[in-house]
Amino acid sequence: MADKPYLLSDDEVISFIIHGSHIVEPDFPEGFNESIYAELEALDIQQNNPGDAILDEVPKLHQVFDHPKVRGALVSLLGEDVQMNGHRHCHVNPPGTRSQTWHQDGTNKRHHHIQTVLAMYYPQDVPAELGPTVIMPGTHFRNAPTDRMATYANFREQVALTVKAGTVAITHYDIWHAASANYGTRTRYMLKFLFTRGSEPKSPSWNHHPEEAAASMRRFSFERACACSQSDHYKERGLRIEMWEHLVGKSV
Amino acid sequence: MPTAFEAIDKWIDEARAKLKNGGIQRGDLDQLHQLINANRKHTRQRLLYLHAATPSIRSQVIGMALHEPVQGSVTEIVTEEQEWPYNTVHDAVLDGWQVIHFPDQRTEFDDREIDILGYEFILQKLEDYNG
Repeated sequence: MADKPYLLSDDEVISFIIHGSHIVEPDFPEGFNESIYAELEALDIQQNNPGDAILDEVPKLHQVFDHPKVRGALVSLLGEDVQMNGHRHCHVNPPGTRSQTWHQDGTNKRHHHIQTVLAMYYPQDVPAELGPTVIMPGTHFRNAPTDRMATYANFREQVALTVKAGTVAITHYDIWHAASANYGTRTRYMLKFLFTRGSEPKSPSWNHHPEEAAASMRRFSFERACACSQSDHYKERGLRIEMWEHLVGKSV
Repeated sequence: MPTAFEAIDKWIDEARAKLKNGGIQRGDLDQLHQLINANRKHTRQRLLYLHAATPSIRSQVIGMALHEPVQGSVTEIVTEEQEWPYNTVHDAVLDGWQVIHFPDQRTEFDDREIDILGYEFILQKLEDYNG
């Protein structure tokens, strides 16, 4: 069967399972990101954040998540009936901030499926000095109360999402993340939207080819998302396979 | 201004010389006591949190947080390329850091779930801060 445009490949889905993130770079029309940045600036969000109403305040944001590349990735990970969650937030990181501490969103009742993802849209370029979001690969399998992360500062393998304007970073809901300090001269905005699965998977919702998948699945055993103890890695392998089997519909 | 250790080293050198010429006196010991007391308040604790892959001090360090005992110092996530001074806790010990907290070695009872990353060692260096 011919691949559907914009859906992820087996290898991309497997990368998401192992690392917990997928970067999408949509080709928005010229000036699109700049116009959203200007609208956000005009709203003075730092003083008066509209919270969930940001979509009503900046309706153009619909176009971000309706973009076929973004939609294709979301359908691949959450199924054809993926739904935008009612909660969303415009994160404002003005010059002069300090970094956040590492955290997972939500509380510590977790699972090892892909039920919800964060989709983070950046309307401006985010170089290292402008307070990028930092994520720690592989930590979406780790259920850790935020208090227990308070003594962490830097991990050798942390990834700063230094991205170009228009990028949508899709991460597993549970991935460890933090906003870093903004040493730049302008505000860094990040529009965080949540997308949730509408139904339990019955079959792969991406461009699935069993033979190619079988080859890529070897990565579950051998690929490290980050350095950790061997015993943690063995458990991680099992959790990756559990996530995969849920996605292909085996655990229904 | 000499550090506490430099001042005490100097006192010891002078005491050695005095031993050859009749020995040290009560006043010399008072001077030593003053040196120690004067510098005690300048000694501060530098703290280094190292998160290692296992409870072994020879295992790979995967996370680090350095806290300098200076007003206004900041410990935070760095997004630029950064110096990574120690590959293991042992490397830090060789550089003069003292371990003041060792991680618990117990195996997790849950053989499926994983939680925090690494095993936390806390190290200190006591140094003079005269400024």
